[in-house]
Amino acid sequence: MNKKLVSPSLKRGLTFGIVMIIFVLIDLDVMVATMLSKLFGANVIRGSIPDVGFMVLFLILFGMFVGWSTSSDDAKPTTKLFQALVAGLTLGVVLGLFDLILNQLIVTGTDVRKYLAALAPESIRLFLFDQGAISPLLHLGLFTVASLLGSLMKILLKSESASRFFKGVKSGYQGLQAKAQANTPNWVKKYGKFLLFLLIGLLAFFPPRIWGSYNNYVVGLVGLYVILGIGLNIIVGLSGQLMLGFAAFFAMGAYSVALLNAPLPHGIMLGFWPSLLIGILMAVVAAVLLGLPVMGMRGDYLAIVTLGFGEIIRILLKSDLLTSFTGGPRGIQDIRGPTLFGQSFSSDIDYTYIILVVMVLSIFIYKRLERSRTGRAWLAVKEDTKVAQATGVNIMTNKLLALCLGAAFAGLAGGIFAARNQFTGPNDHQLMVSMNILSILIVGGVNSIPGIILGAFTLKGLPEILREIENYRLLVFGGLLVVMMISRPEGLWPATRPNIEKDEGNKLKENGAPGEGGLND
Amino acid sequence: MENEIRPPRRYKRSKLPKLVRWIFGLIVLSSFFWRLYTVIIVQNEYTPDIWVRLLISGLVIGGVYSLIAIGYTLVYGILRMINFAHGEVMMIGTFAGYFVFEATNAIRFTSSTGEITSLSNAQPFLSILLAFIVGMTVAATSGFLLEKIAYRPLRKAPRLIPLISAIGASIFLQNLAQLLFSPLVRDYKNPDLIARGQGWAITVAGARLTIPYTGVLTFSLSIILMFALYTMVRKSKLGKSMRAVAADKSTAALMGIDVNGVISQTFIISGMLAGAAGVMWGLHNGLVYYYVGFLPGIKAFTSAVLGGIGNIPGAMLGGMLLGMIESIGPTALGISYQLKDVLAFVILIIILIFRPSGILGEVLSEEKV
Repeated sequence: MNKKLVSPSLKRGLTFGIVMIIFVLIDLDVMVATMLSKLFGANVIRGSIPDVGFMVLFLILFGMFVGWSTSSDDAKPTTKLFQALVAGLTLGVVLGLFDLILNQLIVTGTDVRKYLAALAPESIRLFLFDQGAISPLLHLGLFTVASLLGSLMKILLKSESASRFFKGVKSGYQGLQAKAQANTPNWVKKYGKFLLFLLIGLLAFFPPRIWGSYNNYVVGLVGLYVILGIGLNIIVGLSGQLMLGFAAFFAMGAYSVALLNAPLPHGIMLGFWPSLLIGILMAVVAAVLLGLPVMGMRGDYLAIVTLGFGEIIRILLKSDLLTSFTGGPRGIQDIRGPTLFGQSFSSDIDYTYIILVVMVLSIFIYKRLERSRTGRAWLAVKEDTKVAQATGVNIMTNKLLALCLGAAFAGLAGGIFAARNQFTGPNDHQLMVSMNILSILIVGGVNSIPGIILGAFTLKGLPEILREIENYRLLVFGGLLVVMMISRPEGLWPATRPNIEKDEGNKLKENGAPGEGGLND
Repeated sequence: MENEIRPPRRYKRSKLPKLVRWIFGLIVLSSFFWRLYTVIIVQNEYTPDIWVRLLISGLVIGGVYSLIAIGYTLVYGILRMINFAHGEVMMIGTFAGYFVFEATNAIRFTSSTGEITSLSNAQPFLSILLAFIVGMTVAATSGFLLEKIAYRPLRKAPRLIPLISAIGASIFLQNLAQLLFSPLVRDYKNPDLIARGQGWAITVAGARLTIPYTGVLTFSLSIILMFALYTMVRKSKLGKSMRAVAADKSTAALMGIDVNGVISQTFIISGMLAGAAGVMWGLHNGLVYYYVGFLPGIKAFTSAVLGGIGNIPGAMLGGMLLGMIESIGPTALGISYQLKDVLAFVILIIILIFRPSGILGEVLSEEKV
């Protein structure tokens, strides 16, 4: 076999080997094995070590993935198998050497946790399958076989007959869909969507009463992040200004509600709803104050300035300078909840309702905005500022408007957030919050409501449900941002082009250009 | 009437933003000078030795900022992108230096006089040299890999996409370090020769103050490194090709310059400088943890913008200036020392609003950007 074939596979095996070593060093392997065991219904107590079998399963899956990704698409089956063999062997050798070191640690009883905090002896033993000195050989064999298996799977699934089979299924499904579309009565076409939403709305009424406070908490969190995502999407997605200090507006809303509605430090007790309105207003005022001086800036400078703005707000909230006014680093406690018709309306169930209603309203407002004249102006500004200006779009006003509207959503979410937690402090408004919201947008898909909901669920909801992930959440975020930018900048659920262009007979972009929903500058 | 041609509506360019900008600027400037006047002339609480001490610490921190800022400026000059993960490269360098000092400190032997000493105390110069070499190498490697993995596939993408990728890489590296080494804040084990808090004593206006050894080391080393870099960019072949790639990538490629190679080398050089800065930071401030690179990174970026991004002398000047502003500013303005970060961010915002090209001006022309 020639060198061209061997060297990429070798490299790949080496890369995956290093990845696996890092997995072991940060204890991610044990986490995945625990998740797998949970998937198979084992009852896992937090912090306990799963069965060895699940570690074997994880390593087999990993090896299969290596084999799958190493075998190149257009090669002959034998070549694919050969590539997978090389990669698997390399991976096995790399990890075998690593195993020797680990085994030495176990044998001599050295505790390296002072420097490598996650490398506990139990996790090392689990990784070595508890076999001591023969584990390198076991790993070598396992990875080679698994890699070959992965390659075999690719050969089978991507073969001629298999692809013909999938094509047949797909065309059959499409035929069914077309048939169903032709057969639907007119009234369904007209009102079907509306009825569907009504049904979903009715269904959404009951679960919060049944599924307990924890689920309400998670759903509320996801809902709040959807609202925040919509707000940021108006700024980033529609008008194309990258904003990294979104948490500042969130803080404006939260602190307005908190200061006007808690016994300390001022004891104004204005009531939730008026103070929520004031919170939105404060966020908008902050947006105008920030926006007017910085609006003309280049994209990346704007990003850094808004980041600086967010940090300034957070440090000021925390500083001694404002402690008498904002409660300083300890934050504000005992924020009073909302009332409705004189009744207290602040149980966790009620908050879920409030958040869901506000979320649906936000989506509605967003949809109307997107199709309005302003929304189209924003898109025009984002696509090409000079052309937009030449066609009579006022850049300044439109960008500022987008910033204000986005800030208003953030203020709204912040107010509800503060009241729901009955507490807010400087740590609720860290830079990480802004980054999280941005990640939701980018992972889900810019300018796409289902994308934002999906993003909010994967990035905020899933880590709440799967507590094991919690420690690795930000790591995965960061990695995901890079990978998404490289392989799929338009997001998991990309936006389709707004219908306006199709309606006006512009057939050019009917199917949407690639990278449509992505960020442009 | 349908033939009537309406005159096109004339759009006046709004004067409002400019007006707001200038009013904002005037307010900030006048209040700034007012504070300076009240604190320094009217209250006059501080004796000269305090100012000298602040000046010294400002110069030391400024040297570190300058080194990191040069990394931002080099990458920005060539790729027109903000390498947001540069602070994390510095953090990796700090950790590498930390491990070298831990290792040299752990090696114990009996010296000729019969006492038990560690390698780092017996051979302080060797261990410091080793820490810098390892720190710079590791940071340079991570800078190289960063470019290769996170930025190179996005070379042709719109500008904001590499920025987001950089933010992602920054979050990833921070959390990787946190998971690997735990969120613990660790102490740097300096060799006794340059123990923290010790230094030469001098007398200024009747008061004694010390110039810390770590500060002297940091400052002189950063000046040497900056000088070496400047000479390299001006004189060497690599520097020439770097400038050529910064001016025009495609023409540089036509002239036979390996553009990708030059970009990689740029990342390696900026990583080396950041690694050196990281070890200095650890030696001087004594703390290392996963978040250690974030604020210096942002501040070094501020320095790069302050001096004019893309401009190497600008980055050096900006770093020194920012270090001094940060160290003297809170006292001179009579505000709490907690707010020194706010000061840096406010300066960043003001510079970007009023003179985005910085003090010495960007080297790049607007059209290319």
